[in-house]
Amino acid sequence: MKKAIELTALRPLLWATAACGAGTLLSVDRVPAWVPVAALGLAGWRIWVAARPTRSQRLPGAAVRNFLAILLIAAVLVTFRALNGLSAGTALLILMGGCKLLETRSRRDLFVVVGAALFLLLAACLDRQDLLRAPLYLGQVWLCCAALAVIAYAPTATEGPAFDQGFNNRSAVLLAGRTLLLAAPLAIVLFVFFPRLAGAFWSLPRGDTASTGLSDTMSPGSITDLTASYEIAFRARFEGAAPPPAMRYWRGPVLHNFDGYTWRRLYATPYGRPTLEYLGKPYRYQVILEPSSQRWWFALDTLQHPPPGDTVLTDDNELISRQPITDTTVYKGVSYTSVKFTSPLPEISRRRDTATPPRNPHSREFARELRARSGSDGAYVAAVLEFLRTGGFKYTLTPPPLGADSVDEFLFNTRLGFCGHFASAFVMLMRAAGVPAHVVTGYLGGDWNPVGGYFVVRQSDAHAWAEVWLEGRGWTRVDPTAVVEPGRLDRGILDLLPEAGSAQARLVRRSTWLTALVQRWDAANAWWTEHVVKFDFRSQIGILESLGIDSPDARDLGWAFAAGLLLWMAWIAWEYGRSPGGPPQDRVALAYARLCRKLAKAGLGRAPHQGPLAYADTVSLRRPDLASSLRPLLEQYAHLRFGSGSHDPDELQILTFERRIRNLKVSGTA
Amino acid sequence: MSVSRLRTYWQLRMASWVRRRQGVDVLPVVLQRRRIYILPTRAGLAFALLLLFMLLASLNYANSIALFLTFLLAGFGLITMHQCHRNLMGTRLHGATVLPTFARRPGTLQLTLQNPVRAARPRIAASIEQEAARLADLPGQGSQCIELTVAAAARGLVSIDRLKLTTTHPFGLFRAWAWIHTPLRMVVYPRPVGGLPMPADDALKSGSLPRGGAGADEWLGLRPFRDGDSPRQVDWKAYAREAPLLVKEYSASGNDLRVFRFDALTGLPVEQRLEQMSRWVVDAEAHGERYGIELPMTRIEPDRGPEHRHRCLTALALYSLPVPAQ
Repeated sequence: MKKAIELTALRPLLWATAACGAGTLLSVDRVPAWVPVAALGLAGWRIWVAARPTRSQRLPGAAVRNFLAILLIAAVLVTFRALNGLSAGTALLILMGGCKLLETRSRRDLFVVVGAALFLLLAACLDRQDLLRAPLYLGQVWLCCAALAVIAYAPTATEGPAFDQGFNNRSAVLLAGRTLLLAAPLAIVLFVFFPRLAGAFWSLPRGDTASTGLSDTMSPGSITDLTASYEIAFRARFEGAAPPPAMRYWRGPVLHNFDGYTWRRLYATPYGRPTLEYLGKPYRYQVILEPSSQRWWFALDTLQHPPPGDTVLTDDNELISRQPITDTTVYKGVSYTSVKFTSPLPEISRRRDTATPPRNPHSREFARELRARSGSDGAYVAAVLEFLRTGGFKYTLTPPPLGADSVDEFLFNTRLGFCGHFASAFVMLMRAAGVPAHVVTGYLGGDWNPVGGYFVVRQSDAHAWAEVWLEGRGWTRVDPTAVVEPGRLDRGILDLLPEAGSAQARLVRRSTWLTALVQRWDAANAWWTEHVVKFDFRSQIGILESLGIDSPDARDLGWAFAAGLLLWMAWIAWEYGRSPGGPPQDRVALAYARLCRKLAKAGLGRAPHQGPLAYADTVSLRRPDLASSLRPLLEQYAHLRFGSGSHDPDELQILTFERRIRNLKVSGTA
Repeated sequence: MSVSRLRTYWQLRMASWVRRRQGVDVLPVVLQRRRIYILPTRAGLAFALLLLFMLLASLNYANSIALFLTFLLAGFGLITMHQCHRNLMGTRLHGATVLPTFARRPGTLQLTLQNPVRAARPRIAASIEQEAARLADLPGQGSQCIELTVAAAARGLVSIDRLKLTTTHPFGLFRAWAWIHTPLRMVVYPRPVGGLPMPADDALKSGSLPRGGAGADEWLGLRPFRDGDSPRQVDWKAYAREAPLLVKEYSASGNDLRVFRFDALTGLPVEQRLEQMSRWVVDAEAHGERYGIELPMTRIEPDRGPEHRHRCLTALALYSLPVPAQ
């Protein structure tokens, strides 16, 4: 095996470092800060050694390098307690890229560094696929390819000429760019037609990313924190008419367990799926759910069936996935905003949803009295709502803090609350009077995006409401907040309480053109997510259908894939198989041949023995009308060809000659 | 059978197959499609493995962006194959000249490559068996000379059966190469060593004039150093002044005639006799003397000049060696 020969030039090293550095930047916010700093140190060390004009400074020996590598692996292990997660793997790749850089001597070493840069790109792709990052990823591919060109060009010491002006950084970048452009059609064809697999063979443990959005507990103030976030929870696009604003309740976690202060969700309480009678018309829609690292999927009100896949519809009509949502998820649903429960409330369920903690004595007393005065559960609900409406309650984002008897304090003392306070107090009053009730959290409303034709539901649309069991109807939604602040039903919190949002959200809302811009950008993002990021087998079949193939299947996809691949390969082979550049064409001769063809079509062919001037004489004799235009042309040809002696005709003369021949009209007859 | 032996065996099989397939070439040779071979380099194979990994990962996670980038890089890789092939295709090997050398000194093979098209052809490497390649960047419609060193261990003929032109340009993922079977022979003169005094002049066999030192000869001037020149004749003072290596040339006065006889060197093994004769030929030529050699079966009449020197040294080089048919 040949010994790898040292590269002496600095340029390939710099390019490999740049590729690896850019790969690091793609994930720099996913790893602890010491990782890129350490990699930067290693790269700096290598370049410092290479850039020293004297060779006295040597690269570290194998012992030092191995020690460093082990040290860095240990540091990653200590930080992440694993090596196989996405963030841990990324950190490891960055550090090993730096270590490899430290020992680069030959061309092969530099290729390995560029390979590490491509792995970093893959890791970044697996992590995030935003529209905004797509150009970065393409740029990284470009950078890596250009680095390959520079490294491949670099000569080893024995091979001869070093870099010359013929192939500089610019040529490398241009060459890589042109090659990638030629490859782009193939990438698009393969992307569209390459048969996709369903399901993952193995899964990648992802680092703990902070979960966002609703959680499975609710205490006074917890939803308030959420509403400060302008982040998108999900987008929803309706097929056909959307439900009216007051009906757009997006159902999330249902909370049963109350300790007087905090509501909690219960787990593993199978009490049988209720039978439902769906009233009104169904709403069909598609939800594009942003990753939250939680397991809640959101569906409009009452979902008919869970979407296929890894999800369950619980007995409380919550839609839950088995795995936390770490990727953007797209699903379709059919929902009803009005249902009737035809099965009775199971006893266990009744007991659970009427349980109250031994707290809030005033509220319990108040509930018992009010229920006694009301004729039915329904009337009692109305009475409580009336109490909330007329009791001087105020909807505010900044309610005063509450103690352990939170409901008592809120109902009879502070009377300032957010949706969570109202829902909590209302359910507490229901339960104290023996009416089964629970808190439902989720989102209410959403902004209409006219560009994309969908609703954007943000964290600031988080909401909490109540459900009570009424005999004959089953679980019925009651939104006590809507009684206190009716505007919440059709307007977002940011409209009602402008101070709720972040500075960024307020800025966007204040300017109409900024709003429009944000809407456009969001629509582009949504399109990107739906049509590119979530492009799957069904989308492929849809494309085949739109191409006019009847009931396409995977086999048609394979054919399309093969056809596209072959076409592209033929095109490239043709593109490169042609004579590479070719000797410079004799443009004068070509133009002359063109002129002769034109004349021949008009019946004025040139005899093979005729020179241009003799030809001009013949044509003038037979077609005097052409003589004035043709003779100067043929004379110019004779001049260009034979007249100028040793000097080649200059570019301008040739151009004029060509243009005059192009513009010459030869009619069929005189 | 070890891996390296298997490799060698395979390379020999390949070489003979290529030789049968292409036949003998007569210069100038244009590298056409059918004589260009192309395979991925090790970097190219690694690149393919990386793409396979990317493909599996992106399919597994149904990751569209990674999948697209994988396909983009795959297309890129396929195109580089065509680019690499085209970098070699159409190159013209215009001339190949071997310069004779002395044993144990590397000889030189000069190749002239021409690029008939406008597009430049960077990084074309020329090599012969087992020797390090040299690179050339052919400008558009231009030509470039490459000098290869050829090892010469012993006197005689070194035959260069085939030349290899290689390129991995532009991305180093593929290597395209072409074999050119143009029989080239390099004459390797015997080493000019030996300390015996030059035999006396034939014409002055009676020995009236002593073998003169340098001072006895007429000063001719300086000329560039050539292989085989005696270090004693080098103008070291000029060299110390950073002038090129120059040799002081003297012409022996009169029409000296020396004939170096193989048979006269009794008591020495054959190779040492040839080396000694080589030494004398080189020295005599350097002194501008007229000299001839006499080998068993061969005699070259006294004369001087570079061609004569070459003829004499060639005769020494090929002495008692079977001369292969041209």
